[in-house]
Parts: sequence; structure tokens; C-alpha cells
Amino acid sequence: MTAVDPETRIPDPIDLDRGEEARLRAAAGLAPPSAAAGSEYAGFELVGVPDRPLQTEREREMYTLEEGEMLLNMGPQHPSTHGVLRLVVKIRGEMVTDLDPVFGYLHRGIEKLCENATYTTVLTYVDPMDYLASMHNEHAPAIAFEKLFGIQAPRRAEYIRALVVELNRVFSHGLMIGFLALDMGGLTPILYSFINRDDVVELLAAISGQRMLFNFFRVGGVNWDVNDEFLSRLGTWHGTVMKSIGDNEKLITENEIFKGRTRGMGILSGKQAIAYGVTGPNLRASGVPFDVRKAHPYSIYDELEFDVITQQSGDVYARYLQRIDEIKQSLHLIDQIMDKMPHGPVQAQVPGIIRPKPGRAYGAVESPRGLYSVYAISDGGPTPYRFRMRDPSFISLQVMPMLMPGHLIADTMAIMASLDPVMGGVDK
Amino acid sequence: MALTNDPREAARGRADNEAAQGTALVTSPARIEIPDSAPSDDDLLAPFGMEEHPTGGFHGLLEVIPTKADLVIDLIRANSLWPLLSGLSCCAIEMMSTATSKNDIDRFGMFPFRASPRQADVLIVAGTLTTKMAGPLVRLWEQMPEPKWCVAMGTCTTSGGRFKRSYSVVQGVDRVMPVDVYVPGCPPRPEGLIYGLLKLRELVMARRGQWRTYVDRGPQRVAWEGDVR
Amino acid sequence: MRLLVERFPETARDLWTDEDTVEVQLPRDAVVETLRTLRDDPEFGFFMLADAAAVDYGIGHHFEVVYHLFSDRHPAWLRVRVPVERANPRTPSVTSLWTGAMFHEREMYDMMGIVFEGNRDLRRIYMSPDYRSFPQRKDFLLPDDAADSSAAGVNPLERPETWDLTTFSRELTSSAATYPPPDTQVDVPAEAYPHGQESADKSRPA
Repeated sequence: MTAVDPETRIPDPIDLDRGEEARLRAAAGLAPPSAAAGSEYAGFELVGVPDRPLQTEREREMYTLEEGEMLLNMGPQHPSTHGVLRLVVKIRGEMVTDLDPVFGYLHRGIEKLCENATYTTVLTYVDPMDYLASMHNEHAPAIAFEKLFGIQAPRRAEYIRALVVELNRVFSHGLMIGFLALDMGGLTPILYSFINRDDVVELLAAISGQRMLFNFFRVGGVNWDVNDEFLSRLGTWHGTVMKSIGDNEKLITENEIFKGRTRGMGILSGKQAIAYGVTGPNLRASGVPFDVRKAHPYSIYDELEFDVITQQSGDVYARYLQRIDEIKQSLHLIDQIMDKMPHGPVQAQVPGIIRPKPGRAYGAVESPRGLYSVYAISDGGPTPYRFRMRDPSFISLQVMPMLMPGHLIADTMAIMASLDPVMGGVDK
Repeated sequence: MALTNDPREAARGRADNEAAQGTALVTSPARIEIPDSAPSDDDLLAPFGMEEHPTGGFHGLLEVIPTKADLVIDLIRANSLWPLLSGLSCCAIEMMSTATSKNDIDRFGMFPFRASPRQADVLIVAGTLTTKMAGPLVRLWEQMPEPKWCVAMGTCTTSGGRFKRSYSVVQGVDRVMPVDVYVPGCPPRPEGLIYGLLKLRELVMARRGQWRTYVDRGPQRVAWEGDVR
Repeated sequence: MRLLVERFPETARDLWTDEDTVEVQLPRDAVVETLRTLRDDPEFGFFMLADAAAVDYGIGHHFEVVYHLFSDRHPAWLRVRVPVERANPRTPSVTSLWTGAMFHEREMYDMMGIVFEGNRDLRRIYMSPDYRSFPQRKDFLLPDDAADSSAAGVNPLERPETWDLTTFSRELTSSAATYPPPDTQVDVPAEAYPHGQESADKSRPA
């Protein structure tokens, strides 16, 4: 225990704002403080400007204000942003002219931790990535590691995997609908969504033992077989799920206010979506029928019958309809999986510490937010040499600076919620 | 009964109090009289013209309960702890689940999740705290008015949890702010969070009328100074 | 795969395939042109950039930027590996082909310190702008217990010297964002650093 030198003491954030505004303004290339300097509101419009020289071309473009423009900082703690997303919005009146998303408030270094963990424990670390789709998070590394190790999960295990990921997709899409309505001021749909979500996670807790970060997948299988509690809960849930989804649909789908605020908002064309790397329901809502389950069938998806659903208009309303349709599709898939599920073991014979041969493997799954992929390199040791995760919501958020300009401040939240980002996945 | 807001005065007793103010010169301890039996409710209520009703409740001329204002205010506080709507990561979803229909902490007067720290009593730190987020979170905490409480929800906030080895994670939120209740679990079930919040209510009740001493617990941000160098 | 050999006889090297991936190695100078052909030529049709990742092969070796492409005309992912020198980690940006490569490249710059020439928004995306290490490099060691380790880069909150706001832009304004700085860079195998005792970060102030 040594005392901290007052010279190097951490500056108080409030001091940073109040005391150094002149220096920061000069650093940011702004005009010196106006006549308001010294008053209580001095430096008020400085909120959001980085307290350092601007580094890149794009940053100078974003943070150089013209006449009549100001910056508005949202987040990282903001009731509407999903988690700790921070948006710096450049506005002219009520109109958004530019936007800069700032990430990293939840960066936990999961990739680095995974490179220091054995193959079995990696599946534990990836759970909190996209925390609304933990089953998908585990699915992709399981596929990649099985390719590295050259083993195949038993068929019953593959069916159970498909079952749990589809269940996960149902509640994830359901929550997106609730959050979308919540960000536009409607409180009721989130209550219905959470009723459904609590049912599903209790269902998944019956099979995996955990409500949220399931840790259910293993390299070469799954942890448990389906049990009686799971089956009975599944039956009960299956009888009531359409009611809770239908309640939300009745509230939202034909709601005049909802339609007025979502139709024609944030239109994303298919070409733009491809260029920006958008995948998943957001891409399909723009009319591009790309679904990893069809494009590169993994697990048992080539044995199931389903079509790739698309919408045409590519606006917020289309993204909402896409989620509703995919929930129904997932329920249809769950029916098929339960019909076809074979008997047999659920776990292949795998040693305790896995040492695959040196090699590289790529595993991709269709998560509720899009293409979630893992690139793993083995050097023959017990830990992956390189473990890389591609999270769809991280890439999808790139379209925001392109979608937002021309919309009102209140609509930015609707557009952002329709992209359905999860900050745990964005920041890793 | 002297109405005072200062618990130290109340604790010292009347004799010490007078001595401190210079109104009494005698500083010997007050005599302690041990009563033969505890006074009954009727004895206590008699000066106010009240009596206990046979079927419960109090009846009388004056339907008031004499007490200190702090005790009443803290009773109200304990039964309407308003959390701040601030989620960091995974635990935030379970926190929302706690607030919605199935678990419904509105039962305990805790529902209105305030969006502004100026209106909140409890900061539920729900999720991993990273070094980049630590500054904004401490700022939120400092913007909350006293009295305020902090609940560390989840293993990440109590110790760093599964990310303890990471290069960008604060290993326990108690390094940057005081914590009143720790709720372990990764994430804890909603029932766990409710139990933690009820424990917090017990803590508030145990400190009834003494929040000034509770506030005087020293500087708030001592955690990282000379902590690990 | 046969198409690749026919069309790019000079540039494509080290072709390799497994059940659902075709892998090819490209030199740094040819990557943009080749990827443009792969994207636009109807024979290939790799219109989607699925992933872009950086790999560190350790001190004394090279970096590698790995692109995964998707095509609806071929039944396999295409993996393009581009080696990058460790002493001068620069490679052309592909943001002119896919705008969505922007965040991928910002992440690679943040985590590995690879500079993408032509990217107009190359700044840190996860770590704070004044952070001075590149955490995903192999010479950045995770401490076994960060609390009593001397490893640099751990918990900048507890290292107030990193809060000096005047030093953060050094790595961008200096010639190349090499890390460790070229004058201190020595070719020592990673095993030479005992875990948790001795830091590999030479740029840490004494």
C-alpha cells in the first residue's frame, strides 16, 4: 500500500468538464469559449466532444460543427440504449445530421481469455457474449472445435442442440419486439415479452441448470439429455406461447401510432446491407434471402423443412414483421425437431483435456442477430492459439451513421432498437 | 421528548448533552433506574389520552404516534427504494425480469426504475464493470442524492467473476464505490435479487434515524488510491 | 479451388481445403485487386465479407489478416490469408470494397496494432483512446492474478499514469504504430518471459 502522488491522481470527471474546457475546445479545433464562459452553462455544448486532439478524417468530419449544429451525447447510461451503448449525435434542431457510436464500455477481453483457457472452458467464456443468445454463442465454437478435433456429435445431441437454439431464438426475437415498443414509449409489450421469456428460460433451465448463461453445449455433444420436467414445461409453454405472441401482435402490428413511427423509417436497401456486412433478420428484412441455416447447413438444418423468410421494404416495420415471422418459423421448426428426434447418446467420447492437431477451423451459425462465427486456430496445445468471434450486432451497428441522418432524435431510438444490438456481443 | 436530527446527541444521552452545551456543570453519569416491570402500552399511551382497543388498534382522543421525524422518513424510505435504471450487461436482463410481471418487485415498492440518478435511491450495478465504464458509473453514483445505497448484482461486480483475469475488467465494483449488499450468482435469479433487495431493506430499517452517521462514513472514492500499485 | 488456380496463377499460394472451406494465401500488395475480382466476377460471386480477423504468430514471426468470404455459387467458405510483417504492420484497407470492413479493421487496429492504409476512421474502438498496448498480441501476457502482477496494460484505472491525456496520440502520430517501439523490439521467444513476473511491455514507464 503506497500513497498516490497527487500529481498523478486520477482527475475527477467533473473537473475535466468544468476546468479544462478552453484547452479542450482548442484541442478539438473549436472556437474559444463564448461569452457564456464562466457562467454555469459554460462548455455545455462541449458534451460529447472527445477530450483530445481528433485523430482521423472521419472523426474530424463528425466533431467539426457548422453553424446551427450541436452535439448531443446519449449514453453510456441511457434508458433507451440497450446496455452501455454510447451515441454522439450531431443535430440541427431536431434533425440528426450525423452520428458516431462509441463502443468499449463492456469490453471484457473475452477473446484473450479464451486463448488462455482450455477448449472445454472456452464454451463457458463465450456465454456472456451475446447474452440474449447464449445457446448460439456456444454452438459456433462447438462446431469449430469439433472440426478441429475431427469428431462428430451424436445425432440425438444435434437434435437437442437445434431444439434449444430455436427456443433461444424465440425469446430473443420476442424481447426485441418488446424493446422496440418500449423505446417508442409503449410499456405493455415488454411485459408480455418477459412473460414469454421467463417461460422459455425456465424451460431451458430445466435442461441446462441455468437460467441465462446456460453452459449447455460440450465439445462433441450436449451436457444433458431432455428430461421429464423439460418435456412437461415444453408442452405447457407450447400451448400458451402463441397467446403471448398474439397479444403482442394485436397490440402492435396494426397499431396506427406504431405504423406511423416505423413505416419508411431507417430504410436499408439490400445492396447497402451487404456492403455494410449486415446479416440475419435485418438483412432478410431488406429482401436478401441469406440464412446460414440454408446457405451452409450445419447441425441438422438440412433435414428440416423451412423457407428463408424475407420482407421487401427494409424499414423498421419490416424488421419487426421479420421477427414475428421468424418466431412462428422457429415454433414450426421445434415441432419438426420434436417429431424427428432419434434415440441414442447425447455425448461423444471425448478426453478431458482436448489437444487437437494443429489446424484451422471456421464455424458459423445463424444467431438471432445474424451470422455468428468462430475462427479457431490450434497449435496442438490444450488451448486455442487464436480464437476469434464475429458478432453480428457489432457489424450491424455500422449502418447507424448511414441510416440516422434525416431522422428526428426520437426516431434514432426506434431505428437502433430495430437493429437489435446486444452490447455484450458488440463489445465482447 | 427532544426532537433532534443528530443521532450523536441522542446517543450521548441527556446529561452528556447538557454538559456538551455547557448548560450543566455536573458531569457524573446519570443514575440508572431499573424498573420493576416494562411499562405497558396503556402506561405509554395514557399521557396522550389513548388506550388500546380490545380488538386491536388504538382509540383515543388523539390519534397520533409520537416519534422522531427521522424514524418515519426512514420507514418510508425503506418501503420505497427506487432503483436506478442502469444495466451494464447480462444481469440487466435478469434485473428487468425482476421488475416485470412474473417477479414484480413492485410488491415491495421498488418498481419505478428511475431513468435519472437524481431521483434514485439504489444503484443496482448489474453486470461486468469495465475500466472504461468505471468513470461514468462513479459519476452516476455521485449524482445520486444521499441517502443512497449500492447493490452489487452478480459475480462480476462482486469480484470480477469469470473475467477476473481480464485486462479491462474492474475486479469488483467495491474498488470504485461503497457497496451495501452483494448478490452472488452469474447472473443471480430474480428471486436472488429480490432477496438481496429485502436484505437492503433490513439494513435501512436497522439504521433508522441514523443516516447522518451513515453518511459520515468517510470519503467515498478511496478505493483505488494506493490500492494496487 | 480450380478456378482460383486458373485465374490467379501468380498470386494465389498455399491452397488448402477441408470439408467446407477453401483457403488461399495472398500477398499484401495484391489483396485489394484480388478481392475485388472475387467479389465482382460472376464466376466467383463472393459478395459478402463474413469475417475479418487478425492473427499474431508470435515474436519473430508475422501477423496475418484473415478474410472469410461467402458466395452463393460455391458450396464453401473462402478463407483469404494475408501475411503482414510484424516490424511494419501495414496492409491496405478493404473498406473500398466492403464498407462493413470498417469496424473489423478498427478492431484489428485496437487489438493487434495493424494499420490499414486507406481506412478513414482508424482509431481505437474498444479500449480508451489513451490506452497504449495491443492486448491481443501474444507478447501481451495475462497476469495470473492481476492484483499483484507487474504486467503492463492491466487495469488502467489502477495505473494513473495512463490517464495522462497528452501521451495517448503518440502511437498514431509517430511513424508506424509499432508495438513495442522498434528500438526496443528484440527477437526473443515468448517463453523467455516468465508469466506474471516480468512484463513483455517495454514501453511501460519505469
